[in-house]
Amino acid sequence: MQQAGTKKSSAAPAEGKISNSSKAGIASLIVFVILLLAWIAGFSSRLFAVIRFESIIHEFDPWFNYRATAYMVKHGFYNFLNWFDERAWYPLGRIVGGTVYPGLMITSGSIHYVLHLLHINVHIRDICVFLAPVFSGLTAISTYLLTKELWSVGAGLFAACFIAIVPGYISRSVAGSYDNEGIAIFALQFTYYLWIKSVKTGSVFWAVMTSLSYFYMVSAWGGYVFIINLIPLHVFVLLLMGRFSNKLFTSYTTFYILGLIMSMQIPFVGFQPIRTSEHMAASGVFALIIAVATLKYLQSMLSKSEFKSLFIFGGMIAASVVFLTVVILTYAGYIAPWSGRFYSLWDTGYAKIHIPIIASVSEHQPTTWFSFFFDLHVLVATFPAGLWYCIRNINDERVFVVLYALSAVYFAGVMVRLMLTLTPVVCMLGGIAFSALLNNYLREDGNPSSIDESEKEDKRLYDKAGRIGVPRVPKHEQNESDPIGPNLRSIVIVVVMVLLMLFAVHCTWVTSNAYSSPSIVLASYSGDGTRQILDDFREAYFWLSQNTADEARVMSWWDYGYQIAGMANRTTLVDNNTWNNSHIALVGKAMSSNESAAYEIMTALDVDYVLVIFGGVIGYSGDDINKFLWMVRIAEGEHPKDIRESDYFTEHGEFRVDAEGSPTLLNCLMYKLSYYRFGELKLDYRSPAGFDRTRNAVIGNRDFQLTYLEEAYTTEHWLVRIYRVKKPDEFNRPRIPVANRVVKSGNFASKKNSKRRKGTIRNKPVVVKGKRPMK
Amino acid sequence: MKGTLLFCLIVISSIFFYHADGQARKGGMTMAERVQQLSDMAAKKALLKFNGNKFRDYVKSTPRNYSVIVMFTAMAPQRQCMVCKHAHDEFTIVANSFKYSQSYSNKLFFAVVDFDEGSEVFQMMRLNTAPVFIHFPAKGKPKNTDTMDIQRIGFSAESIAKWIGERTDIQIRVFRPPNYSSTLALVFLFIFLAGLLYMRRNNLEFLYNKNLWAVGALFFCFMMVSGQMWNHIRGPPFFHKGQNGQISYIHGSSQGQLVIETYIVMVLNAAVVLGMILLTESANKNTDPKKKKVFAIAGLVLLTVFFSLILSVFRSKTQGYPYSFLFK
Repeated sequence: MQQAGTKKSSAAPAEGKISNSSKAGIASLIVFVILLLAWIAGFSSRLFAVIRFESIIHEFDPWFNYRATAYMVKHGFYNFLNWFDERAWYPLGRIVGGTVYPGLMITSGSIHYVLHLLHINVHIRDICVFLAPVFSGLTAISTYLLTKELWSVGAGLFAACFIAIVPGYISRSVAGSYDNEGIAIFALQFTYYLWIKSVKTGSVFWAVMTSLSYFYMVSAWGGYVFIINLIPLHVFVLLLMGRFSNKLFTSYTTFYILGLIMSMQIPFVGFQPIRTSEHMAASGVFALIIAVATLKYLQSMLSKSEFKSLFIFGGMIAASVVFLTVVILTYAGYIAPWSGRFYSLWDTGYAKIHIPIIASVSEHQPTTWFSFFFDLHVLVATFPAGLWYCIRNINDERVFVVLYALSAVYFAGVMVRLMLTLTPVVCMLGGIAFSALLNNYLREDGNPSSIDESEKEDKRLYDKAGRIGVPRVPKHEQNESDPIGPNLRSIVIVVVMVLLMLFAVHCTWVTSNAYSSPSIVLASYSGDGTRQILDDFREAYFWLSQNTADEARVMSWWDYGYQIAGMANRTTLVDNNTWNNSHIALVGKAMSSNESAAYEIMTALDVDYVLVIFGGVIGYSGDDINKFLWMVRIAEGEHPKDIRESDYFTEHGEFRVDAEGSPTLLNCLMYKLSYYRFGELKLDYRSPAGFDRTRNAVIGNRDFQLTYLEEAYTTEHWLVRIYRVKKPDEFNRPRIPVANRVVKSGNFASKKNSKRRKGTIRNKPVVVKGKRPMK
Repeated sequence: MKGTLLFCLIVISSIFFYHADGQARKGGMTMAERVQQLSDMAAKKALLKFNGNKFRDYVKSTPRNYSVIVMFTAMAPQRQCMVCKHAHDEFTIVANSFKYSQSYSNKLFFAVVDFDEGSEVFQMMRLNTAPVFIHFPAKGKPKNTDTMDIQRIGFSAESIAKWIGERTDIQIRVFRPPNYSSTLALVFLFIFLAGLLYMRRNNLEFLYNKNLWAVGALFFCFMMVSGQMWNHIRGPPFFHKGQNGQISYIHGSSQGQLVIETYIVMVLNAAVVLGMILLTESANKNTDPKKKKVFAIAGLVLLTVFFSLILSVFRSKTQGYPYSFLFK
């Protein structure tokens, strides 16, 4: 975090000035400068991948987003909405316009449009690459605004600096990671800010702004469900705590109605907000708050005993009617039950048993404490202190942040990808904790001007401003009656600074080492530190785009579907939009069957090429053999008669590729395609031929020939191998050596004998030169 | 002459043995009889209890046109086999699920052999552990794969059913008798809470005690952040015992964790948070001035020491992590 360092040091002189200046203008200048520096620091720490490699789209999903954005820029928005992509999910195709959250494409598309209006000719790819880092700055600003509403300006600045560089958020927003989450976290935080603002003011204006921001969030990410459940939960808890107010009523009803209508404008969301269980809590709370408001109104009209009986009867009838309606509608099929991904959040064992395709995705795994610490570092150990102070000094908006923290920490525990929703709230609470601590430690410094003199209560200190400046203050200024003593005070401040510095260097280290790999270009470092770039993926995709027919269909495991479509522009069978489990299972079955059974499936699916990823030569662990058991499991889920997971294990229950591996494994298509001709390859003089570096084993099935496929292309480091599926006429005929070939000849009798010869004239006189024709 | 005598001897002895054998086997049933008897028994009780003789009659005899899944177990209390009880329960569930399922037929029977009733069977099968599940196929002898690998797949009813499906092509959908214990526990908890609230209805002040709520919320955060949910889903061992008998409390790789490790992390996290709070309170205006210094020192020590500890645990799990604080 070089940038974080410069941020702090460059902020220091400015802060020195304000200690003897108390103008509000300077204070807001400081806020502006710190936010700007946080933005710059966040932006630059996300550029590792661009600097080390090049400006390139990363990983898997971003490739689809990029392809869709490029399509939209080229063909216009309405054509994009109506886009039927026949190159995906062959032979089914995919209606892209109706199955994406278009917010991301629209955002970068409009940036592209505006820049081109100004005659700044930026390629759409560069906009896509740098979109997430730019938005991280906006996220920092909205986090600042939200924390400021919850606690104080100082806490807000802390939170903004934290979220700018925290790895939990960087993991999804490095340059090139062009995905929904990059802009969605901004939308999430901004919606929450506007919501808090509208609860505080009770104005329709802020509520409308909330729902507009919510609309943007719905258009950007499926995680909008988190908002539409958290805000009603907030309202519900406020009602339980007896904190009903007309402000709350106004803001929630306005937000709910407008948000509902607007969210239904997104084609992919459609009628879900009124038909699925995930959204039912919001409507239930809507009914409840109206009931409470009615009761409050009646309470002012009726006498106490009348009101009591009305309350009991009316409440019971209303509750039972609502409950019955929901139950009946669910049974009648108007309200869909929870979808699998959401259900697995509650019943944590559900996905493992019922939906292997969800369980197979690594980001759907539960989270170890290690990943929490890895992604949040000092914040994970200190944010509960912020939570503690929020609960101790509870008010309407702090109820919100408490609920936000508790629900997000639960979800992050269940699914590692939801660490993303936890990160903002941890930054906010961590900011509050550090702000409260330093606030107390810097207050009695005999420097009354550091107190913000605006209308805020004395608690809301401008601690951030004095954060660095204080250790420089000479110690003799300390108050004599201070029981803690100046030495201890400065020690505490220094220790806190050391912790924050450790956080900054940790963030840089993690960003640089873990989250800045484009994963389509690999880098390996040799002993002397020189770097070797392995560009096999792009090499293979480029080969596909140059050497295969335009309509060729490529079969691969679903991980590589988006990349093949995006880089090679060829038709794929399955891709990362895993909407059709049975289609994926069919591909998995083909991969895990033997060659002839697989050939039947491949001809049924019109496959022309098969692409496998093989890491055995360079020791790349994310290859298809290591993913293979998931293919088997997913195939087994749909075809339990043909594929059995236990067939792929040895008798001792091991998954091994060497000679002791199970014969089913050694003869399945994936094995053969990965290891074809590998048995002849001797990688170095120490290891035997056919030594797989990823699994550290000599392969078991070495000298085999392929009957139904032929090798079409293998990249430089064997990382990607492409095979051509033979047509039936290419292998049905046994090959006969030239010497044995018999050409039928000799007693060949043409049917055109002398009698049936065409065009002859009967009794034609035969003319012989020099003789008279015979009659 | 000699040859004839030998022949006679063989014939006689074979007749004798056959006779003796036949008597022991109630006169050698035909296959149809056996199937009939088995079906009758199975109709009464899904899980058949075999002793040595019955085992020979129904399982070892050929020809058969049915498969038998036999669980070898030791249920007697003096054997002290805790696992056997669980295994027996699960096996009964599978047997009952099969009995009441659509695919019920007389091609598959479930039987159990107890060590104390048929120890000779254990000797015959060369078994010295229990429980063991063996599938006796309709044709031929059980192969290696016909013994269920409990170590690997466990013996939950679902995995037994899946294993049976693999061995016999008979798919059994496990139907567990609904388990009301958790529902009951929940109901009791609610009754208890409601009763508590009712008892203290005149003094509900404790509901407004912010400290109580705050401690609850913090505890929830510590649980989640220390990976208890991972423990719940993955079920790791409590601690790890190495080959040389040394016990490790921290999982070596960043991919896994041990139960005790998560507790340690939880305590470390809580100590850091306590340190933060003490530090903050120490400089608070409202705190008793005498306690301020104690709070400050205690908080500082807690914060630095325990954060350094957590950092060093983290460092030991990460390859090449360069930073540490106080401790290596």
